[in-house]
Amino acid sequence: MSSAISKNIAVDGVNDVPDRPVTQKTLNDDVLSMVGWPGKVWWALFLFDLIVLAVALAAVRNLIVQGWGVSGFMRPVMWAVDITNFVFWVGIAHCGTLVSAVLFLFRSHFRRAVYRIAEAMTVFGVLTAAMFPAIHTGRPWFDYWLFPYPNQRQLWTNIRSPLEWDVFAVNTYLTVSSIFFLVGLIPDCAAARDRAKHPVLKLIYTIFSFGWTGANYQWKHFYGAYLFFAALATPLVFSVHSVVSWDFAMAQTPGWHSTLFAPYFVAGAIFSGVGMVIFLLVIIRKGFNLQHLVTIDHMEKLAKLVLLTSCMVGYSYLTEFFMAWYGPSKAERDVFWFRATGHYWWAFWIMFSCNVIFPMSLWFKPVRRNMTALLVLSILVNIGMWFERFVIIVTSLTRTFNPANWFYYKISITELALIVGSFAWFFMFFLVFVRVLPAFSISEIKETLPMPKRRAH
Amino acid sequence: MINKLLDGLLNPPTPKFHGVMGIWYYVDDATDAVTALRGAGHKNLNVFSPVPHHEIEHALEQGPSLVRWVTAVGGFLGVTGGFALCFYSMGSWPLVIGGKELFSVPPMTVLGYESMILVAGLSNLLGMLALGRLPQLKQVAPYDPRFQEDRIGIWVPCSAAEAAKIEALMKGHAAEEVQVHA
Repeated sequence: MSSAISKNIAVDGVNDVPDRPVTQKTLNDDVLSMVGWPGKVWWALFLFDLIVLAVALAAVRNLIVQGWGVSGFMRPVMWAVDITNFVFWVGIAHCGTLVSAVLFLFRSHFRRAVYRIAEAMTVFGVLTAAMFPAIHTGRPWFDYWLFPYPNQRQLWTNIRSPLEWDVFAVNTYLTVSSIFFLVGLIPDCAAARDRAKHPVLKLIYTIFSFGWTGANYQWKHFYGAYLFFAALATPLVFSVHSVVSWDFAMAQTPGWHSTLFAPYFVAGAIFSGVGMVIFLLVIIRKGFNLQHLVTIDHMEKLAKLVLLTSCMVGYSYLTEFFMAWYGPSKAERDVFWFRATGHYWWAFWIMFSCNVIFPMSLWFKPVRRNMTALLVLSILVNIGMWFERFVIIVTSLTRTFNPANWFYYKISITELALIVGSFAWFFMFFLVFVRVLPAFSISEIKETLPMPKRRAH
Repeated sequence: MINKLLDGLLNPPTPKFHGVMGIWYYVDDATDAVTALRGAGHKNLNVFSPVPHHEIEHALEQGPSLVRWVTAVGGFLGVTGGFALCFYSMGSWPLVIGGKELFSVPPMTVLGYESMILVAGLSNLLGMLALGRLPQLKQVAPYDPRFQEDRIGIWVPCSAAEAAKIEALMKGHAAEEVQVHA
């Protein structure tokens, strides 16, 4: 009976583990085996994560109680690590929507095996990113002032400020990507609900599955809506990071005032996001023994995406330098020269090596299919992309037009705690996610399996 | 006690159904059964499956989902609301900042656009839930967990008098199992 579906068509080529037959039922077994009471390794990781997070929360407490003086901020560098972290995490978030929505519209089947992880990463990434502007206001209990709401004095937000555009863009992105993520989970949570033994878990899955039964009218409207979520999320991906880039590009500051910023930031966001997806998938596929679901071909396709976006990012770096040299602004030329050779030369070269030089190894197929190499590269890419934002923000602010304002910004321990804490915050969500919700889309992977038919066609 | 409470909440008493439920493994057999049942005049049948099947959708003569219209209306309201908010907020306290024009279209476009996506996304969700009758708090047909794994179920609501005929029709189309709920 199961012979018709014994071959896993998700495997296009040679895998790094022996091929294992996948049927509709074993797919449920494999994915839902991830869900359940965690083991010692998970608890050790989770505990470590919470300790790091506690240190970061102590740093946040210091910032709020003692004020921003405990950070390394000083005029004119009033944006540094916070906004670097904000842009970094929004960038990480972007890949999820790219994989789930853009590749859905292009009918790219390899996305089915990886998109749930990427989508979860989106939601957790935006949740992490949104914290930084909130903390950076210095008085987070007044953050609601950022939203336009009727008030006694008829005061409204300044909608001509790109920072206000961010409020709209990031909140829209958080809402739409969360809905997209939760809607995709509905059929899989129904499968988990039917198997759950513990009443609390059953309750969680019953809530997340909305009473899904897999009826034809439910599928009809589910896919009708899913297509539109993808269609809405696609322009949203590009618009949100464009809006984030305009936080900088709208200012007159040398090194920022460029029309290149929107496509440059979008490419960079996808680059770092895919890097993070690769990092997570390499660990998860090995840790949960799911190499037959997330095959080496899937990983290679993601590696190609990293290579493509690395080329785009590298092209943008070179264009920036070329335009600074070719353009009329001396301040712009000076800032770019300062970036590569000034106080922060080390940050610039970390950025350039990690984002442009090392990913070029992905031109070689054996590297793209080697999981250790991909793991190392994904870490380097994310280090490089964090430094990209640091370089853009800090080098431009330390060298504004007036030399009297020039300043050497040094990162403080408090800010370091915030950086590490942001990773702990992100991984806290992720660790819970892989143990509570189906981390791979059962229903979508199932669609790639040949359906059982009595008559051969 | 909590477990008992949860148990009562999660496993409500099954309502009494009147009809026939057939269960299939092969998609083509299930598709033929849908065509035959509809041909026999049973238009209000429900099909349960772990994934959507185009053959079954065609046999059911399902049109496109109406969710798109709900989404379109939401998008229109969103963009209108976004621009309206910009005009209203600027006009209610006309303060020129940085010498920039008061009613400036480029920033309004950003806000209008994001509002359009936001409201369209929310409408899309509400449309899907309403049209797909979700959350489904009350069972509308007998449910089998195998429908989330690898089996296809066809539920035909009918009277006891018709049940035998439908049962025979389902068995004639290679149903693995037929349950009569009279």
